[in-house]
Amino acid sequence: MNPARTARTAALLAWIALAVLRFPAPVGAAGQVPAPTTVVDSLNRSVSVPGKIGRIISLEPEITRIIVALGAGDRLVGIDYFLKHHDHLFPLVFPEGLKLPLVSNQAQDLSLEEAVRLHPDVVFASPSEFRMAESIERKLAVPVVALASMGRFAGLIGEIETLGRILGREERAAELVAFFQERLRALDRSASPDPPGERPSVYLAFWNSLVRTPVSYEPVDAAGGRNAASGVLPEYLGAAGATISIETLIAWDPEVILVQGNYPPEERRVSVGTVLRDPRLASLRAVRSGRVHYTFGFWYWWDPALVLVETVYLSGLLRPGAPAGPGLVATGDVIFKEFYGVEGAFSALCRILDCHEWTAR
Amino acid sequence: MSGRRDKRTTVLSVLAVVLPLALSLVALNVGAYRIPPQAVFTTVAEAVFPGGDGSGPSPYADILFRVRLPRLLLALFAGAALAVSGASLQALFRNPLVFEFSLGISNGAAFGAALSLVFLGRGFPPQPAAFVFALLAVLLVVAIAGRSASQVVTILLAGVIVSALFQALLSLVEVFANPYALQSLVFWLMGSLGQATWKDLAVTLPVIGAGVTVLILMRWRLNVLSLGEEEARSLGLDTTRDKIAVIALAALVTAGATAVMGVVSWVGLIVPHLVRMAVGADNRKVVPLSAGYGAALLLLADTIARGAAPFEIPVGILTSVVGIPFFIVLLKKSGRIWL
Repeated sequence: MNPARTARTAALLAWIALAVLRFPAPVGAAGQVPAPTTVVDSLNRSVSVPGKIGRIISLEPEITRIIVALGAGDRLVGIDYFLKHHDHLFPLVFPEGLKLPLVSNQAQDLSLEEAVRLHPDVVFASPSEFRMAESIERKLAVPVVALASMGRFAGLIGEIETLGRILGREERAAELVAFFQERLRALDRSASPDPPGERPSVYLAFWNSLVRTPVSYEPVDAAGGRNAASGVLPEYLGAAGATISIETLIAWDPEVILVQGNYPPEERRVSVGTVLRDPRLASLRAVRSGRVHYTFGFWYWWDPALVLVETVYLSGLLRPGAPAGPGLVATGDVIFKEFYGVEGAFSALCRILDCHEWTAR
Repeated sequence: MSGRRDKRTTVLSVLAVVLPLALSLVALNVGAYRIPPQAVFTTVAEAVFPGGDGSGPSPYADILFRVRLPRLLLALFAGAALAVSGASLQALFRNPLVFEFSLGISNGAAFGAALSLVFLGRGFPPQPAAFVFALLAVLLVVAIAGRSASQVVTILLAGVIVSALFQALLSLVEVFANPYALQSLVFWLMGSLGQATWKDLAVTLPVIGAGVTVLILMRWRLNVLSLGEEEARSLGLDTTRDKIAVIALAALVTAGATAVMGVVSWVGLIVPHLVRMAVGADNRKVVPLSAGYGAALLLLADTIARGAAPFEIPVGILTSVVGIPFFIVLLKKSGRIWL
C-alpha cells in the first residue's frame, strides 16, 4: 500500500467529515426530503406517503381527474386503460395525459413490471377492488392509497382534500372545495328547497339499462328532487345500482325520468326517445308530461367538475320556479375553466355527447 | 301395482297441465303494481271477449298484457325448453348427470349471444349465434368423449372442459368489449326474464315451441336410443340421424331461451329427475311431463324473483340455490340412479 496515497485519502475523508459536521443543512432548505405524510384512505387504512411526490401512478379515473384539477397532472407517469382508450372527457382537459404509458388492463389490474419500470412514489387505486391496495403495496413496496367518492359529495370533497395533502397542493384543494361548496349553496339560495314530500320523484335509468338505477344519487337530492329508488337497497351500499322490474318502475310512476347521457349517442342503448316510445311506459307521469331528460351520471365514478355542472343543470330541471341561469353550456364552461383551467372544454364535451340538444326545462 | 302406477301417472299428467296454468293465474296477480284479483279477471275477460260496456281497456291492461304476460310466457316456454332438453340428453347419453349446463350448451349459447351483442349490436338478434355455439359446444363434448359418451365421468369431464373453454372465450369477449357494450353484456349474463318484450318473443317462442314439440314427438325413439347403439339399430332405428336430431333440437331450444334470458341453470337437471322419481324411466312419460313441470318450476322461480323484494333477484340465482344441493344429493346417490 502506498503511504502517501493513504495519507491523501485520509485527509480527504477528514475534510468531508468536518464539512458535514460544520455545515449541517438547515431545516426545510432545498434538497432536504420533507417528512412523510400519513393519510387515512377510503379503506380506513393509515398510509404513510413520501413528503415529496414526484411520480404518480393512478389506476382510478376519478383520482386522475382530481390530480389534474389540482395542477399535478405533470407528475403522472402512467394512466389506466379506461382513460387511455375510452374516456371522452380526459383528452379535453389533459391531452398530454394520452402520451403517458398505459399501466393497467381493462380489469384495472396494474401491470407490475411496467410499474417497477416507472418507479412511482405512490400508486392510487380504487377501494372497490378487493385487496388490490395491499397486494400492490406488498409486491412493489410502494405506498398505495385507495380513494373514491363512492358517489357522495362529502366523499368527493374528502378525496380532493386528501389528494391535496398528499401532493402538497392544499391551497389549490381548498380553492376547489370552496368553489364546489359555494356553487351548491348558491343553488339553495336561488330557490329554497322543497320539503321532502313535495319534491318531484325522479327515476334514474343508468348504466345503459332501463331497469338499473342507483339507490342514492346526491346530485338529484341537491337539485331539489327525490330519488324514487331510495331505500330499495340497504344504505351501506351507497350509490350501488339496483335492478328493478319494469312493473316496479310503473308502480313508482315518477314525475321525472333521467336517462344517463354520458355516452356518445351511437352507444346509447337507452335514450330519451326509447323511453318516450316504449308502450309499456306510456301511462307514466314523466312520459305523459314529457319530463324525460338526459343527465350525465357516473362515468367511472365522477369527474369533480362534471358532477357540479350536472347538479346545477338538474336544479334547472327539477325546480321549475328557480330563476333561469346562463344555460348548460355556458355554466359548464365556467366550471370546467375553474377546475381544469381549459377554455371551452365543456362545450367540446357537449359536442361529443350531443348535450346541446338536451332539454333544459 | 300396475294400476296404482297408471293412476299416479294420470294424476301427474293432469298436474303437469294444471300446475303451470294455476301458477300462471298466480303470476298474473303478483307484481309491484297492485291490481286487485277481480280487476285481473275483468281485464283478461275483456281482452278475450271484447265488447263489454264500451269503456275501453282498463288502466291495468298495459301492465297485464305488455309487462306480465310476455314475461309469464317466456318463463313457461323457457322452463319447458330446459327441462325437455335435459330429459332428452340424459336419455340419449344414458347418463343421469347430463344436462344443458354440464354439456357446455349453456356456456356455448352464452358465448354466441355475447359475441352477437358486443360485435353485431342490438339490431341483430342474438339467437342464431347462440344456437351455432350451443351446437358447437355439444358436438365438441361428444367428440372429446368419443365412444365413452355413456360413461358418467367421461361425459362430465368433457362437459367441464368445453364449459371452461366457452367460459374463457366469454371472458375474452368481455376484455374486447367497449365499456358501453360491456355494461349491457354483464347485465344480460346475470340472467333475467324481466326484459322480455313481444318483439323478443316473436322469435323465441316459435323456435322453442317447435323444438320442444318435436322432442316430445321423438319420446319413443329416446326410449329405444337409451337401450344403446346396437340394440337401437337392431330395432330399425337410424341412430345417427336421431342422435343428431336430438342434439340439434336440445341445443336449439336451450339457445333460444338463453339468448333472451341469459344463463339460467339446473332446471334441466332437477325436473327430469323429479319426474323419473315419480313415474319411472319411460321417456314416453318423462319427456312430456318434464315440459309441464319445467314450465311450472321456472314460472314459480320468476314469480318469487320479482315478488319477494322491491328489486329483482336474478332468476338464475334462485334456480342455482335450489339446484346445487339437489345436484349434490344426486351425485351421492348416482349409483342407484337408473334410466
